Amino acid sequence: MTEIVNVQGLQKSFGKFRALSDVSFTVNTGEVVGFIGPNGAGKSTTIRILLGIINREAGDAEIFGKDTWKDSLEIHKRISYVPGDVTLWGNLTGGEIIDLFLKLHGGGDKQKRDSLIKRFELDPKKKAKGYSKGNRQKVGLIAALSVNSDLYIFDEPTSGLDPLMESVFQEEVEKIKESGKAILLSSHILSEVERLADKVVIVRQGEIVEAGTLDELRHLTRSTVTIEAEGDVAEMASVNGVFNFKQKDNQATFSANNQYLNDILMEASKLGVKKFESAPPTLEDLFMRHYEG
Amino acid sequence: MKEKFAQWDTLFVLYLKRDWKKIIVWILGIGLFSAAFVPAFEEIAKGQGLLGMYETLQNPAMISMVGPTPVETASDYTLGAMYAHEMLLFCGLFAMIIAALHVVSHTRKEEDLGLSELVRSFQIGRQANSFAAIVETIFINVLLAFFIGGVMMSFGADTISAEGSFLFGASVGFAGIIGAGIALVMAQIMPTSSAATGSALGIIGLLYIVRAGTDVSNVDLSMFNPLGWAYLTYPFTENNWTLLFFAFIFGLIMVVIAFALEGSRDMGAGYLPEREGRRYAKKSLLSVRGLFIKINKGVMISWLIAFILMGVAYGSIYGDMQTFLESSEVMKQMFSSSGVSIEESFTSTIMMVMIGLVSILPIAIVNKLFTQEDRSLLSQIYATKVTRTQLFWTSIGLAVFAGLVGILLAAGSLGGTAISAMGDSSTMDTLDFLVAGYNFLPSVLFFIGLAALALGWSPKLGKVVYLYLGYSFVINYFGGILDLPEWFSKTAIQSWIPRMPMENFDTPIFITITVISIALMAIGYLGYSRRDMIEGT
Repeated sequence: MTEIVNVQGLQKSFGKFRALSDVSFTVNTGEVVGFIGPNGAGKSTTIRILLGIINREAGDAEIFGKDTWKDSLEIHKRISYVPGDVTLWGNLTGGEIIDLFLKLHGGGDKQKRDSLIKRFELDPKKKAKGYSKGNRQKVGLIAALSVNSDLYIFDEPTSGLDPLMESVFQEEVEKIKESGKAILLSSHILSEVERLADKVVIVRQGEIVEAGTLDELRHLTRSTVTIEAEGDVAEMASVNGVFNFKQKDNQATFSANNQYLNDILMEASKLGVKKFESAPPTLEDLFMRHYEG
Repeated sequence: MKEKFAQWDTLFVLYLKRDWKKIIVWILGIGLFSAAFVPAFEEIAKGQGLLGMYETLQNPAMISMVGPTPVETASDYTLGAMYAHEMLLFCGLFAMIIAALHVVSHTRKEEDLGLSELVRSFQIGRQANSFAAIVETIFINVLLAFFIGGVMMSFGADTISAEGSFLFGASVGFAGIIGAGIALVMAQIMPTSSAATGSALGIIGLLYIVRAGTDVSNVDLSMFNPLGWAYLTYPFTENNWTLLFFAFIFGLIMVVIAFALEGSRDMGAGYLPEREGRRYAKKSLLSVRGLFIKINKGVMISWLIAFILMGVAYGSIYGDMQTFLESSEVMKQMFSSSGVSIEESFTSTIMMVMIGLVSILPIAIVNKLFTQEDRSLLSQIYATKVTRTQLFWTSIGLAVFAGLVGILLAAGSLGGTAISAMGDSSTMDTLDFLVAGYNFLPSVLFFIGLAALALGWSPKLGKVVYLYLGYSFVINYFGGILDLPEWFSKTAIQSWIPRMPMENFDTPIFITITVISIALMAIGYLGYSRRDMIEGT
């Protein structure tokens, strides 16, 4: 497993606005890294620095061990990129634009292109100005997925796609991942990240607030427990590791600190449990925890 | 009726609110441009000024540019007559162009942007939007007409009468309404808003060029030209109000046609069909150069056609020049004493004007690279092995190419038409015209250099290059008439270049300006290769 992307202490300002103050993370081969955060957190800025479209003010950004600003062309030979809002030349057809992107990237697989056009149900003969948001996005995705790269960078790639197309995209990403490529996936659709990502990086106001595998992140947080018992469930409220206790009749819901799970189970067993459900935190819970707090 | 125009008044009020700043700039801009030069013209008119100007403007070249005057003897040529003669055509033309742009931007453009879709979902009539837009445009032009009339009258000059002032204003206003009518029809026919704008401006340009020809050959024919119903009203002399009636009828017919066309088309669709596109790209598209040619193709072809038409229009005047010269003793003396033929003198002036216009296209091509950057069109291309060097120099190369071809077509069509119009009496051959045209190549390169500089260091300033072009164009255009001080006229780049064939070719100047231009491009490249790309932020 080699390191493909390595970003350390990235900083960038636009005028007075501080877009990035400290961004560091890595992406390895065969790994999907989910890059999440609210609008304006600095996701796209980071990605633009990785692509050499803008230059950083401080910190290091390397892809394939090369500097993203100075050696951008060497890097670009081996990467694919889809922006979150694909804009196209209105007087070219989708098919023409895909061909152009394949050519400018350097080759690409014609058969793969045709099969993706079919899978994404795109009409390549239509002029791009007639495409909806989702169809423009498909053009970008088909162009990026038809070429053979070592790193794929997706910036909210499925915005505007319908759920069916979303799952086509996810299947394609899984295929790429299995073939050992690295993927940086910035997305708002947390279920998508949850399904695809091995590692999650959460960015907020230009800083990384959390990074690690989903399991690691989950471990740091609490599970949601719902309990129904014959005895008085109110007694659970005072057990160590129980938070946000809410009771309704003989049913209660609370957050449980994972390291106290055993104590909680022992206490509960005294009450004549009728139902005990424990749900791991979803990515959404993790995400909300960082943004509300 | 209700189905069609319900709540148009709501939209109308909304437009006035949305546009009030634009309306103020519009009325003040065109209004002051039209009316406020009275004191300047009083200066020109002092002493023998009127007489000299009368003779100068009898030259077919001048008539082809500013139009004719009904005055037959120099002694009847008053300040008012001169003002209307020199200003009315241009003011009317500006009013037309602005009105046409405005109408398309509020009708077809809104459909393309998807704004109409939202508006139509409310209790709004199907054609209420177009109706509101055209009423707004008419309203603005009426205000403009009164504003011009009022300002002109306020100078209290002797021959600038109240009647003439308001006729002048009304003529400009009606020119605007004609432009609006043409644009509204084109907005229904064309498949997209950009095609509607392009074709409306094309028609206006064509009307202008056709009238250049008919003004010189036979003014009566210009009376069949819609543009003629605005600029041939002759304020301060004949005060021909009846022409405005034709303008009114024409405007009305255009609007009625437009509404009939709009009534039976779908939103977002035109009458000219859009062809189905290609499934795969042609090989010629598959490079940065191929892409840039493709996206600039529309604007390049339309401008190049305009250059040819312009050359043909001005070239066709050459045949009448000798006749004109024989009719005027003063002019005959002027030309025989200077040792330059009238054709050569005309060529040197008109060439400078034409090459000034040719410069617009290369600037547009260079600026296009930033427009694309700003609209994030290049995001996915940045992530390929395409270099910034390629993007930059391909744009510059295409601009230079457009300049070269533009000069060839403008000078070539001028020369070709001129030579055939002059017949045996021709004193110049095609090569003379081409040499006179390419003599101005450094000025075209200079504008490309300026645009490149802006692109590299401060891309938002790219539009300022047009301003400088407009400025130097005005300096050169009116420089001869206004007798500007040397240093002032030298602020326009073309003033450095000798006017061939009247003056001799100047090799050091040619090389110096070319080298400076290339240096500007190189400096621009340095900026472009190291700045952050902007992408709509």
